[in-house]
Amino acid sequence: MGIFLIRRLNLFIATSIALIGVLFLATSLFPVSKTVALAGITSPSLAQAQQITDDYQLNSSELGQFIAYLKQRLSGNLGISTSSQHPVIDELAVQLPATIELITVASILALLLGVPLGVLSALSHNKLTQNSIMVITLTGYSIPVFWLGLTLILWFGIKLGWLPVSGQLNLLYQIKPVTGFMLIDTLISNSPYHISAFLDALKHIVMPAVTLAILPFTVVVRITRSAMTQVLSQSYIRAAEARGLPTRRIIMRHALPNALLPVLKQLGLMLGPFMSYAIIVEVIFAWPGVGSWLVSGIYQRDYTVIQGGILAVSLLIIFASILIEVIYTAVNPLSRKELYASH
Amino acid sequence: MPAIKIYQEEHIPSPRRKLWLSFSSNFVALIGLWVVGLLLLLTILGPFIAPYSPEFQDPNALLLPPSWDHLGSVSHFLGTDDLGRDIFSRLLHGAHLTFGMALAIVATALLTGFIIGSISGMMTGLKASILGHMLDSLLSIPSLLLAILVVAITGPGLENVFWAVGLALTPQFIRAIHQAVHDELQKEYVTAARLDGATSLQIFWHVVMPNVWEIIIIQTTLAISAAILDIAALGFLSLGAQAPSPEWGAMVGQGLDNLLTAPWAVTIPGLAILVSVLAINLVGDGLSAALTPIRS
Repeated sequence: MGIFLIRRLNLFIATSIALIGVLFLATSLFPVSKTVALAGITSPSLAQAQQITDDYQLNSSELGQFIAYLKQRLSGNLGISTSSQHPVIDELAVQLPATIELITVASILALLLGVPLGVLSALSHNKLTQNSIMVITLTGYSIPVFWLGLTLILWFGIKLGWLPVSGQLNLLYQIKPVTGFMLIDTLISNSPYHISAFLDALKHIVMPAVTLAILPFTVVVRITRSAMTQVLSQSYIRAAEARGLPTRRIIMRHALPNALLPVLKQLGLMLGPFMSYAIIVEVIFAWPGVGSWLVSGIYQRDYTVIQGGILAVSLLIIFASILIEVIYTAVNPLSRKELYASH
Repeated sequence: MPAIKIYQEEHIPSPRRKLWLSFSSNFVALIGLWVVGLLLLLTILGPFIAPYSPEFQDPNALLLPPSWDHLGSVSHFLGTDDLGRDIFSRLLHGAHLTFGMALAIVATALLTGFIIGSISGMMTGLKASILGHMLDSLLSIPSLLLAILVVAITGPGLENVFWAVGLALTPQFIRAIHQAVHDELQKEYVTAARLDGATSLQIFWHVVMPNVWEIIIIQTTLAISAAILDIAALGFLSLGAQAPSPEWGAMVGQGLDNLLTAPWAVTIPGLAILVSVLAINLVGDGLSAALTPIRS
């Protein structure tokens, strides 16, 4: 396991450096001068220009420039945003928690609803139920997420007026950001209205989270179903039945833990599309996260914001996928066989 | 009346025939196949049967609802948008932008992925491992971020979507084909062929490939549906197809301004995307269900 962890850490570092390399190549291709693309200052003074040249080693070879770029980015210097003139890293620190909050709520929703439904559909022998679940999940998988978001806004936000359609919190509430996660901030804030603020934040997150949860939900249902069907046909399940164990116990103790492994693996593979969807959902619901910030960055041709946003989101994905892989290997001894036996 | 068996021997259907029998017994997948066929026809014939040109603006019919609404008219079957453009004609003209381009992108990505994936799959050792790591890093950049990067470099436009989505899809093909070839190579029938003196090229084409085609087919259907969704999403964010273009996602984006007064300008193109992606997914699902019993 120790060797495995070191190899994964290696992979994380190698992938991150490759990613920064791609971004470095992109900066020299942006249709602006290199100093603007790197630091975000449109008309630098003489001292600033000298500083940028020194920081990014613009007079040395390509390799030297790349190492300087790597150093600057890893030390947290992402340049300043051309449009707002604030350091990109500070803006990122404000936006990132909102995105993580949305993603977490959506994943929890998808897992809490998807796993039981998948198990139920695996247990049912009714052809009609099975077919309808297949069609419903395929439909959910095929819905363009922007269209789903707009339709939800139209129905639940405007026609029925049940839920707020944009933002994270009503502007009436003044909540001091502590953790950046609005649901937590409103709960721990000492304002006299913090309970109603929490409920308001909860109302705001419902529609974006549901829109985002549709894709992982359908995937979880399908994978749980197929894994569960496969596990239930194994002989150890029949042995458990022969011993007279109650069905509930067989499913909860013997079948489900094994069926959840492929779900975990699939979740790791799905992170990329999931993140793409999160960006679109943030734009539609004006959610103040990295995605909408990144898209407004591209509209304003704010090259430092684009680099910073892509770097943050991709690092998040790489980290999460490696984390999932590590968890998968830790809980599944069978997958460790491959580590030792090379073919 | 049951058919009388004259001959003793049993007729055994060929694998391809078996696949078709198993696929066509799935009613839902068959519907999907029909819809895909229809979409292909519309992609080719759409511009010829559309009643209006996609940019034609009818000043007397602004924001006309679809014809089944009591305010609608049959001359604009699916209604018009805020500039009086006929939505039905725009959908027909947009079919080759959204659906046709998805096919073109997937074909390109498939070809590239097939060449690189099969070469790397036949290789072993360090080279294969380095390639695997590089693919992992490319796979970790979601298609939308890749598209944002491409747009930042070259500016928005439909041809940039081609590069962005293609770049995002190719690693998936390489990886799937690499993995499939690599897995097949471990099996004993390959060793048997090698002992018979087959060269690497013969092993690849005559021994390994027949077992890999199925995986490629499934991967291709998945990729087409992903490509359609990506093209539409980029059009919606106006990073791909630009404003007057009848690309379906861009149409949703253009209808956004009048979401409250004319929801059909958003709903109908969205439904078109949904139906085409759903049809492809149904076919892909039916294919993989039909292939599984043959494989195992």
